[in-house]
Amino acid sequence: MSPQPQTAVGAPLSRVDGRLKVTGQAKYAIDHDIAGVVHAVIVDSSIGRGRITGIDTRAALAQPGVLKVLSHLNAPVLAYLPNPLAGMAGERLHVFQDDKVHFHGQPVAAVVATTLEAAQHGAGLVKVTYEAEQPSTDMAGAPGDEPLKYARGDTDKALASAPVRMEMTYRLPRNNHNPMEPHATIARWDGEKLTVWDKTQWVVGTQTELATVFGMAPESVRVISPFVGGGFGSGLRGWPHVIIAALAARDTGRPVKLSLTRKQMFFGTGFRPTYEYGVRLGSDRRGRLTAMTHDIRAETSRYETFLEYTMVPGQMLYSMPNVSQEYRTVPLDVHTPLFMRGPGYATACYAIESAMDELAHKVGIDPIELRLRNEPEEDESSGLPFSTRKLRECYAVGAREFGWHRRNPGPRTTRDGDWLIGTGMAAGVYDAGRQDAQASVRLDADGTALVQSATTDMGPGTYTSQTQLAADALGLRMGKVTFRLGDSLMPYAPPHAGAWTLASVGSAVQDGCDKLRKQAIKLAVEDDKSPLHGADPDTVVVSAGRLYVKGNPSRGETYRQLLTRNNLTRLETMGSFTRPTGPERHSLFTYTAVFAEVAVDARLGLVRVRRMLGVYDAGRIISPELADSQALGGMVGGIGQALLEHTVIDHRDGRIVNADLANYLVPVNADIPDLKAIYLDGDDREVDPIGVKGLGEIVQVGVAPAIANAVFHATGRRIRELPITAEALL
Amino acid sequence: MSTELPESYGSPPDGAASAPSRRTFIATTTAVGSTVMAGGLVAGASLSGAAEASAAEAPPSGRVSLTVNGKRHATVIDNRTSLLDLLREHFGLPGTKKGCNAGACGACTVLVDGRRVNSCLTLAVRLDGAEVTTIEGLADGDELHPLQRAFVDLDAFQCGFCTPGQIMSGVGCIEEGHTGSHEEIREWMSGNICRCGCYVKIVRAVEQTARGK
Repeated sequence: MSPQPQTAVGAPLSRVDGRLKVTGQAKYAIDHDIAGVVHAVIVDSSIGRGRITGIDTRAALAQPGVLKVLSHLNAPVLAYLPNPLAGMAGERLHVFQDDKVHFHGQPVAAVVATTLEAAQHGAGLVKVTYEAEQPSTDMAGAPGDEPLKYARGDTDKALASAPVRMEMTYRLPRNNHNPMEPHATIARWDGEKLTVWDKTQWVVGTQTELATVFGMAPESVRVISPFVGGGFGSGLRGWPHVIIAALAARDTGRPVKLSLTRKQMFFGTGFRPTYEYGVRLGSDRRGRLTAMTHDIRAETSRYETFLEYTMVPGQMLYSMPNVSQEYRTVPLDVHTPLFMRGPGYATACYAIESAMDELAHKVGIDPIELRLRNEPEEDESSGLPFSTRKLRECYAVGAREFGWHRRNPGPRTTRDGDWLIGTGMAAGVYDAGRQDAQASVRLDADGTALVQSATTDMGPGTYTSQTQLAADALGLRMGKVTFRLGDSLMPYAPPHAGAWTLASVGSAVQDGCDKLRKQAIKLAVEDDKSPLHGADPDTVVVSAGRLYVKGNPSRGETYRQLLTRNNLTRLETMGSFTRPTGPERHSLFTYTAVFAEVAVDARLGLVRVRRMLGVYDAGRIISPELADSQALGGMVGGIGQALLEHTVIDHRDGRIVNADLANYLVPVNADIPDLKAIYLDGDDREVDPIGVKGLGEIVQVGVAPAIANAVFHATGRRIRELPITAEALL
Repeated sequence: MSTELPESYGSPPDGAASAPSRRTFIATTTAVGSTVMAGGLVAGASLSGAAEASAAEAPPSGRVSLTVNGKRHATVIDNRTSLLDLLREHFGLPGTKKGCNAGACGACTVLVDGRRVNSCLTLAVRLDGAEVTTIEGLADGDELHPLQRAFVDLDAFQCGFCTPGQIMSGVGCIEEGHTGSHEEIREWMSGNICRCGCYVKIVRAVEQTARGK
């Protein structure tokens, strides 16, 4: 086939859903107007562990408008069949099935009322009594599970003989995703069929959870989620409140609308777990690493074991013969964590990249030079060649653009009035994953196309990038293509996570549109009434809805002419992408080098980020404008992780004490300087047929250590615990 | 960013039939932690805002008439109703978002008589005679407001959830003249959190729009 002209892909287009979003017309889960809807509000446990001894609902039920108070005392027994998609050891929290309290804030009741005000007030009137036990929520000193282990070489021996040895422990606090849209669900039963409008990053996942909890066929559950107000991982499972909404709707016979409050977001959805990450490293005097050990501890709940890919960077980011790792989960009386942007990798890279900076300082080598000396030739964890690894280029471009070599290498050497100025850098890595996906494609006789897949757009711009891919593959203008997503009735898509969406769904869209274009071309060249009759199909391209022979644009016709003449109302195809089976032939990763300049008030310890640059090896970029926005957003997320974000638990009763946006600090506009992102040219067909490696996760990896390293350079103080607050620096 | 309203909004509505005590009122409005302005305590009519109230006694309600996006509304509402919930649940205007319901995120920002306020912190019954502009009322027909246009052109959003609040706040910021420098815009736009992290482009959009005025 002749390659299609690329006019949409790679063009700096604005979002196709932009107008909806700036006019308030984009419908998020709770915005859907469902006739007859009533409201539910959850009552949270006020103890951190124990059992419920009584629930007094009289005052709540006496309120005007209150229809029902649901709890384990009156809820039906639910099937809670195993969820085949769960992917986590243990058993999920069962809603209202018994009197046990596993963590502070666990849902213990829900009030359903005809108005939101009545439901809120009613929830405050439900009196729950408990038999409380002392919860254990502090990871320090708590026993861990049997660890996951990895080893190559002999680290003990290598460390014993290393000319340079260092040992450090880094600590990362719990972080909450806190997307701006609180999680919310509207549930409606039509007989035995359930429809939910939900905030989710995976309609299929929520559908499966509801089906298994209620013991229904998945086909009887429809999940709709056209717009998602941020997620960062929080939408990757069907949470208890989704079950509660469905339960309340079934019980009352009315559609039910349920939103978590901002406070409930802290215990009603997951979080990036607390970590302790111990590093021991050995190197020669020129900074060549010989060994590194990684002793990792992370919190999880008692009822599920949450694991993420925290061990990967330590195995493959740098070259060294000896590595040993232990990754231990520590079960506590908390709810189960969940993936948060750059999961595992951002955590590991904070520790590893801080350690590299410490080594660079100790051996007196420039941090970039140190990394270049330890750059591997192949993936030493698997022995596989890298598909593409442009980390050297990330360093070179970043150093040049940032002005890295102008820095005075000594710490605490640069001042600007009261401010100590420092620069730091860090590398980052994230796997370039992809999953099976499908997309339907329909071309109508009027020359417009509809492409659909059950994927999600929580902000990266799925609507736009998929439309770009489809427009070029079909040879249509952007405005002639509509891409729809967020409905479990649509063809299968994987979780909107892991930076998989563009690689996976995009490849399925490409496949479906290529097939449809070929179908149209075949129809034309075999149609004796077509100007293209008899032409070699491999020479025909389509542009702006017109099929023509490449190099002879006058010989051709439009889709519309072709379909109308053939009495066809439409052409339809199904596109698919199947992840290659069998062992990978290459090591597939995205990379970044992040550079930061900070100012630290010498007397007050206040840290301000003055500028930041991220350089990315993320393969082919479909939507440059949107990719740029994602990178800047990842930097903002990383600034929060480095300097502000910290979920604080009162270990006396397991209560989260800063469960609101006034006390769980996230970056605001005044915290953010000008930021810059550079994507290296790339196209990695080992990852997928469209050459993208994914960028949604990598953009947050490496940001926190770059800032931590800059703080060290500014102050000479190494803070090994996030967030780096003024208190830590005083 | 100010959430204080001029005193004139405190005037009680007509028809005070069964006035709740101040104590009862505060208890009902703060019981579940939804923060509301305590300054607007008013006597309520004994009418239910809900179409159906199942129990015997109806909640304390009040009459309010206000203009939203040029359209006049006269209604009787549960006194506990915030302006945000009035817009979303009663007037069919879900463009204004509830991000925290506590005045910390700015997603619910609307203009009340030209001033930006957090609608989650504003009791609707206080707004008798007020003129409210929401994101749905900003464009002139199909013609986007210049700031809406700038948000699209400069990609000043990702998920879009905070965007209505950012834009309404930006309109207020421009009107107030707090756009002299990037630093000033950042400071005066810091009441609106964007978790996707679009601040750099939000500042550009506000600045470009202010310059074009």
